[in-house]
Amino acid sequence: MNQENFVEVKNLRKVYDNGHVALEDVSFSVKKGDLVCLLGPSGCGKTTMLNMLAGLLSPTSGDILFGGKSVVKVAPKDRQIGYVFQNYALYPHMTVLENVMFPLTVGKNKKTKAEAKKIAEKYMQLTQITELASQKPGSLSGGQQQRVAITRALVQEPKILLMDEPLSNLDARLRLKIREEIRTLVKEVGITTLFVTHDQEEALSIGDQIILFNQGFIQQDGSGQSFYLDPVNQFVANFIGNPVINNFEVNLQNGKLTNEAFQLDFANDIAAGDYTMSIRPENLEIKEDGPIKADVFDIELIGREKIVKVKINGEQYRVLTDLTVDVAAGQQVNLAVKGQKFFLFDRSGKRVF
Amino acid sequence: MKTNQKKAWLFLAPTIILSAVFSIWPIFRALTMSFQGGPLINLTFNGISNYQYIFSDPEFWTAMKNTIIYSIFAVPVALMISVMLSWFMYSKLKNSSFFETTFFMPYVTSTVAIGIVFRYIFNGDYGMLNFILRFLHLPAPSWIDDPSMSLITLIIFGVWTSLAFDIVILMGALRNIDPSFYEIADMYGATSREQFWRITIPQLVPTLAFLLTMNIIGAFKIYTQVYALFNGQAGVGNSASTAVFYIYNKFQIAGTPGVAMAATVVLFLVIMFTTFLQRKLMKKVGDY
Repeated sequence: MNQENFVEVKNLRKVYDNGHVALEDVSFSVKKGDLVCLLGPSGCGKTTMLNMLAGLLSPTSGDILFGGKSVVKVAPKDRQIGYVFQNYALYPHMTVLENVMFPLTVGKNKKTKAEAKKIAEKYMQLTQITELASQKPGSLSGGQQQRVAITRALVQEPKILLMDEPLSNLDARLRLKIREEIRTLVKEVGITTLFVTHDQEEALSIGDQIILFNQGFIQQDGSGQSFYLDPVNQFVANFIGNPVINNFEVNLQNGKLTNEAFQLDFANDIAAGDYTMSIRPENLEIKEDGPIKADVFDIELIGREKIVKVKINGEQYRVLTDLTVDVAAGQQVNLAVKGQKFFLFDRSGKRVF
Repeated sequence: MKTNQKKAWLFLAPTIILSAVFSIWPIFRALTMSFQGGPLINLTFNGISNYQYIFSDPEFWTAMKNTIIYSIFAVPVALMISVMLSWFMYSKLKNSSFFETTFFMPYVTSTVAIGIVFRYIFNGDYGMLNFILRFLHLPAPSWIDDPSMSLITLIIFGVWTSLAFDIVILMGALRNIDPSFYEIADMYGATSREQFWRITIPQLVPTLAFLLTMNIIGAFKIYTQVYALFNGQAGVGNSASTAVFYIYNKFQIAGTPGVAMAATVVLFLVIMFTTFLQRKLMKKVGDY
């Protein structure tokens, strides 16, 4: 079977009945066994995309292929997918075991009770929920419910696992734990997984591939690293990274980047004009002979590092420094850009450097 | 802490006074009256003779028997039909609010008015029901005038009048079921039959328990339906007499309030016992 293009989406477009265009024109492919994050802000079309993969929505035009075969006209139950809802949708009147057995005991290919129980127990062992078997979902914690929902999605041995914001109902600490668990689990099972999130950190930390949506288009598609180091446009640069990137309005002329607050030498063959210069907070450093004058107004500790919040020409910016750097609120400092670690975007948001 | 408690009594006073006067006092009054004889203005203690009277009165036993038969048949049948109709409306009809309103109309209509209409429908000679039955070459009994049919007629009428309330409550309960339960079941390939029995019905258990309790209590107290259907009688030759009918007759017509109150106490105990039993049973079924 086709390994590279296990899931293929071609020129997909979705217009809702009320005229809202959720997806304009979307194409991507997913490698077999990969964990893929569909990332984007609210209303960007990522959940629409997932629901079309699941078959809960049908596309207006375009095609979806699983393993080289179009599934657009295939009913959800015949697509060999597992789906995990944001709210898990566990049946509250059934025990954990009954919930996990449910998919095996309904429909055309239903199994005998004994067989279903055996398969269910096998997967429950894998997800470590065996000891919860006789409990009702109402008495479980969020993380446990999550695991039950994933187990239930896996028992039919689907080819593709789809998850809609699987971590959004969990508290911050549990999130970190569960996201690693999910990655370990789906890698162990070897199932191709697509999962929707609006949290860029989550996507960067567990996705083999990230697809970033905005306004119905794919903004960038690739590994997490490429998103961070090589954003294709202004939106991607702004969306990825925490603390968020610093944007300066600059003018490029005669090999110099000029702003009301500073002037930097920049020898390049890019056409002269107005650009946005974007610098990640860790690529700014406090340096005595730095060209950018800034007023420190606040400092935020985040553990190993600290965020120095500064005002340059009245605008707020962030600098990420080592904890040992001696700086206090109220001070005036000079900033420098490390090497040429910045991006330039033109007026339309396209990256030029 | 103590001052708080005193104030609390003040706030509770309206409820306590009203329920004491209108609910608790009548119960005690009924209980004492059931041990008294004579007319209402001159009651005298006469021990348990009222109870002896009702337990040896065949009319009382007919009334109780009718009441219990009515409850056993009318309530579950009405519930089953309501579940079927509301499920059909919820899952198959796009514009269900129109039908919901239609089904709710009987609830806000006077039972007596409905009874008059049903008297026409059930009429043995020119009734619509018998017209249809004759057209289909089925036996067309005398629904109202035949004493052996009157209880069946009453059950049919009772089922029809309780549909309205049941359907409205069940529609609310159906709408409360998380739609993703069905979406995900669809994805697992569950048929709509499997979804109905394994998701919908278990999810409806608390509502069904509530309706069952309410309907059984209501069924034990049935009076208006009998009155409306049989034109103020308890059917031909008292064939459809019910417990409340018996109580009313003994109180107002026979002028023996003591006997009426003894029957009231017995009915009260029967309802309490049934409700208690049912709650125990339902706790076992709908435990989540």
